[in-house]
Amino acid sequence: MIYFNAFLLSAVVCMIGQIILDNTKLTAGHITSLFTVIGAILSFLDIYPWLIKKAGAGATILIANFGHMLLVGGMEGFASQGFLGIFAGLLTKSSLAITSAVIIAFVLSILFKPKD
Amino acid sequence: MGSLVFAKVYLNDYFTIVGPKEQKSKLKDFNLSFDDYYFGVKSFEMAEIKMQRLVIENLLKKSQVDYLIGGDLINQIAISSYAGKEYKIPFIGVYSACASFIEELLLASLLVSSNNAQNIICVTSSHNLTAERQYRYPTEYGNTKPHTATSTATGSVGAIVSSKKSNIKIVSGTFGKIIDLGINDVNHMGAVMAPACADTIFEHLKNNNKNIKDYDLILTGDLGKVGVSILKDYYKTVYKKTLSNVLDSGSEMYKPDQDAYAGGSGPCCLPLYFFCKIISMKKYHRILLVGTGSLHTPALVNQHLTIPAIAHAIEIEVL
Repeated sequence: MIYFNAFLLSAVVCMIGQIILDNTKLTAGHITSLFTVIGAILSFLDIYPWLIKKAGAGATILIANFGHMLLVGGMEGFASQGFLGIFAGLLTKSSLAITSAVIIAFVLSILFKPKD
Repeated sequence: MGSLVFAKVYLNDYFTIVGPKEQKSKLKDFNLSFDDYYFGVKSFEMAEIKMQRLVIENLLKKSQVDYLIGGDLINQIAISSYAGKEYKIPFIGVYSACASFIEELLLASLLVSSNNAQNIICVTSSHNLTAERQYRYPTEYGNTKPHTATSTATGSVGAIVSSKKSNIKIVSGTFGKIIDLGINDVNHMGAVMAPACADTIFEHLKNNNKNIKDYDLILTGDLGKVGVSILKDYYKTVYKKTLSNVLDSGSEMYKPDQDAYAGGSGPCCLPLYFFCKIISMKKYHRILLVGTGSLHTPALVNQHLTIPAIAHAIEIEVL
């Protein structure tokens, strides 16, 4: 069942993204930011953890999960270190994704040339 | 005002270079083509500079020139400046986006017609991967485009405007006005430029006491498939006349299977189609070339300003 849910959730999110892309002037960058914010809001409302439980990787590979991770990291930082902990903890959970993206992009940009 | 009449001004020689996609398009009889967007150098900008240099060098083999007039799409017309620095020829840099080549021809015709020069090289170029980055988004960003968007053509064109007689005569021309009807969509340049194009065509016809039917062909620059239908509608609504013999270089350039959205664009689009297709067809004799340019800059579009447009026209007689 979780496989089906994963497929369904990702598909619905992709469909929403495609509809926005086709019908507005927003670009991929805008949509990525939009989904991140939506993920954080869903996380705040405690909906995102439920989605992850139901759909597994179908929810965690989405960019919305980045928003969720930001919120969780910030909240954990606040719980352990107080107000300044929000800033200290904000990126801890998403460090894997951000750091790997930066390093992989760097390596690939050295290895390959842009094409048409 | 704005219309000019020239005496004894001819287009003598021309040289054309086309890129990977254009060599498979409807264009024929180009002088040179290449398969790789890098053109054997390190960056796309350098490739574009190399194209212009090749054009200039090949034209210089044929005659001595008094002036070099250049224009392109990249910041501060960098390509033309870098291409032109190799040759110790007085240089005039012009910018009116994709109407640059027509503006160059008009300026050159003025200089030749007033006997201030005998031979002038006009050169322009565009490169798909430099221009898309300049005006829209770089390819690496992976942005999709709507069907109203045009795709910048890769190529470079140079021509010698001269007082020496040849079979292509420059008869008259019109400098257009800047027209802004309040559109700010960078993926819909056809709509931005069509009103400017219509205004210039109307002014040119009015000032020269001509009719649309006096021309075998009105060849517009890069309005694209959507833009050219907007032009016809707009002309009919505003000026109450039907534009029947209009062809748009951008929308005609590529074959249907080449996936170029609404068509090609860029300052090299109009001259490429004119030199590599219209001339060899030998079908049209009195031609009005109308270059259309969208005069926006990404910084101001991002500040939500609307896009001004311009069109310049030049009348050509092919004997």
